[in-house]
Amino acid sequence: MMESGKGKSARVKNETVGEEKKINVNKSEEKKRKDTNKVWDFFCSVKLAVIIILVMAVACVLGTFIVQGRSFEEYTARYGYGLATVVRITQLNNVFYSHWFSLLLVLLCANLICCTIRRWRNTFLQTGFVLTHLSLVLILLGGVIKFQMGVKGGVNVYIGKSVDYFLTQKIDSMGRTDYVKKLLPFTIALDNFILEKNEPKFQLVTYVKDKDKQKILEVKVGKRQRIPGSDYKVVINDYVSDAELRQEPVNESDRPDNPAVFIKLLGSERTVAEGWLLAHANNYHDEKKQDLRLEYIWLPSQQEFDNAVTTVQNVDAKITASVPALGVLQDYSLELNKTFKLSGSEYSLRILEYVLNYGDKRPVSEQPANNPAVHVEIEGPDGVEKRWIFESFPDWDKMHPLKYENLKISCSGIAKAHMTRNVIRVYQAPGGNQQLVHIKDNQIVETMPWELNKQYSFANNDHQLIIASYFPSFNIKQDVVKKSDQVGTPAIHVRIDGPRGKKEEWLFANNKYATWYKDNNFAVLYESTGESIKHYVSDLRIVKNNQTIIEKSIRVNDPLKYNGYAIYQSSYDPEKLSYSGLQIVKDPGIPVAYAGFAALCVGVVFIFYVKPFLRKKLKKENEVAENEYS
Amino acid sequence: MSIVNLTLIVYVLAAIAYIVREIWMSVPAKWTSLGLLILAFCFNLTLVLKRSIEAGHPPFSNLYESLIFYACCTAFVYIIFEFVYDFRVVGALASVLAMLILLYATLQDDTIRPIMPALKSNWMLVHVITYMLGYAAFGIAFVTSIIYLVVKPFSKKQGDIKSGGSGKEMSVRNFDKLSYKIVAFGFPFLTLGMVTGAVWAKKAWGDYWSWDPKETWSLITWLAYLAYLHTPLVLPKMKVSKSKMAVILSFWLLVCFGIVNFTFVGLNYLPSAEDSAHVYGAK
Repeated sequence: MMESGKGKSARVKNETVGEEKKINVNKSEEKKRKDTNKVWDFFCSVKLAVIIILVMAVACVLGTFIVQGRSFEEYTARYGYGLATVVRITQLNNVFYSHWFSLLLVLLCANLICCTIRRWRNTFLQTGFVLTHLSLVLILLGGVIKFQMGVKGGVNVYIGKSVDYFLTQKIDSMGRTDYVKKLLPFTIALDNFILEKNEPKFQLVTYVKDKDKQKILEVKVGKRQRIPGSDYKVVINDYVSDAELRQEPVNESDRPDNPAVFIKLLGSERTVAEGWLLAHANNYHDEKKQDLRLEYIWLPSQQEFDNAVTTVQNVDAKITASVPALGVLQDYSLELNKTFKLSGSEYSLRILEYVLNYGDKRPVSEQPANNPAVHVEIEGPDGVEKRWIFESFPDWDKMHPLKYENLKISCSGIAKAHMTRNVIRVYQAPGGNQQLVHIKDNQIVETMPWELNKQYSFANNDHQLIIASYFPSFNIKQDVVKKSDQVGTPAIHVRIDGPRGKKEEWLFANNKYATWYKDNNFAVLYESTGESIKHYVSDLRIVKNNQTIIEKSIRVNDPLKYNGYAIYQSSYDPEKLSYSGLQIVKDPGIPVAYAGFAALCVGVVFIFYVKPFLRKKLKKENEVAENEYS
Repeated sequence: MSIVNLTLIVYVLAAIAYIVREIWMSVPAKWTSLGLLILAFCFNLTLVLKRSIEAGHPPFSNLYESLIFYACCTAFVYIIFEFVYDFRVVGALASVLAMLILLYATLQDDTIRPIMPALKSNWMLVHVITYMLGYAAFGIAFVTSIIYLVVKPFSKKQGDIKSGGSGKEMSVRNFDKLSYKIVAFGFPFLTLGMVTGAVWAKKAWGDYWSWDPKETWSLITWLAYLAYLHTPLVLPKMKVSKSKMAVILSFWLLVCFGIVNFTFVGLNYLPSAEDSAHVYGAK
């Protein structure tokens, strides 16, 4: 093999040498002809074709890896100034419309034409070859016509209005976009625009946190679905197409493990407030306007009860300052603008103000006690520091830089003891002991035993109090009820099985928050997939000289064609649906390009399917003929 | 067991049967392997049809649907070829290829979503089907190229490649020619797919060609196979031996199939993907 190769190349060498000699001997005219022949050969060669094909492919790759048609500033940001300049000069920012790419296409065209002429045999078997090669020339020609004579642009038309122009984009070498107005030889009127949406669909999304993997499950009642790559399983037990969550307070037992009373506060004309007070949870209600607070206090023993109803056990609002390094600690009551000295240290403190809801602009008396805070001024060896102290966030200090880091200040009791003048306490203890205590300005004004469903009045107060019910073991029962048979707010009842046992829960489609499984690693969310767009239609009219020429409802995939222009549905006003975005295209090269497409399709099918078949047939016929001959 | 899992298993079984057949060369093994692959194809087709009915539209609207259809086409095209040529071990790898495509599909989001307006076109139907048949053929050509490249170094009679292919029996040493035939089968489908895609784009977006990344990459794919089809006319003139040419062409087919896959699923990684109208998942 190797030897034969060598021999071959040696022979080739001899031949070329011989040729060279011949050329030297021959006249210059013939040499010229020979040169043109060489040029001709070059343009006819398949080698050139393959080279062009490969260079085009590389150009295409570059044209997608480098974002096309952006501003020079963007390329600078992406690649740096030097490379951006290279991109601009080599037109890599606009590969497909660059001079060198055009040159490549011209070269391809020349190659295709030369090649077709060179190999023209005028036999039927060659049909495919001629068709495919000329089809590409036609497609390129169609492209040139489009580029030279075609226009493509867009315009937004408002409903009931008409336009006689559209805008085309022009991008200069620096990537700046300019819009050019083009007049139409007719007017387009938009009579109506309709957007049709698909019915909302709902899906169950699951998420495994440690794998960061989301999966959408089929919403099918009774089907047990495994989450791939994890131990979780989900079953949908129930589905309600239009569900509502009803919450109902219930009493679970007679044991007072979660005592609660339902209280009504009546004004002169109407009920001012009513609701449940839970001894172990939200046990008070503030009626700001009346400067009145209602409290429900459950006392576990007789002794505590007796003690409580006879003395005012107000929690004092106070701040506590300490310097742990010096072993100094001291409490101060919440008095404004009084200077306290923290004995045993170099600090003195002054309370500038306090609020019940930090950041609230209203006066303190109207603020809810959501985030009580005290503003303290500290005088120390290095000057003054002002500091906000938060009752609910005692560690806030640790996360923020301070001047006097060794000085710790906290506050307490502000939420509870904020200066309500009237307090009515509903006391209750086991064994039927129940008392109402009215406290005014920290003094017990009156006490009275209470019973269910009786009205009580208090001194200097127009309001009346009714304790409507008492649940020793209060709980909230959740019930899902079906509101209608239509799809409204659907809900599903899911059961999740995982490493920590089962969890059952109702999921409502209108709940934006995911429900987490016990281990906080797996979440489910039942949600609407959103109303996707089915289709959008513009009712268009072409008007010329005040006469309607054509009417058509256009939609995506179904344009209106008139006078060489094609009008496409491309976008719409997403907010108010007040206009329709139309794309307007004029491309006289279409027939040429489409002829090319058709020729290309017929050509390749001929080459690869028809021709091999015909060849086989011919071969067989020849064989038969030969056999007959012999 | 779900149909997907069943299909995957039968693909694996078919692959095993093909390997058994390669070792024992018995007639029962031949029919078992072909039978299993046809069974797997039927399951896969059921999957496609079921999905189509459930979704209420042809199953080409997202990556999951396209992939299960692609797997189905791969099996289908291979089965057609098996009736024409005696393929031997190719069947094993073709089954594995179809299985891998299906497996990749199961990793995708299989939520049924309403079809977007631009996809509601008959051109799109022809476009996808022709493309998938073309891609399937290229997948099988990829397999034959791999086999050729792997077996060739062990083949003692290097360069002694006869112009076979007249009959059914195909020696692995002739697989370079076989690859060429398979590509020749697939190329018209690729061309038809591209042309119908262009016509559809014209209807939907007003331009048959706008250098969108997906369009550009489909052109790159087309050019790559076009170069492959033309190379055998060039290399002999450049004094490249037949045996070297076979290796070059087989390698080139591997590259080509890489390009096919990039065009199909890889475009999301392009910086220009955000501008594209039809990159999966870009929306």
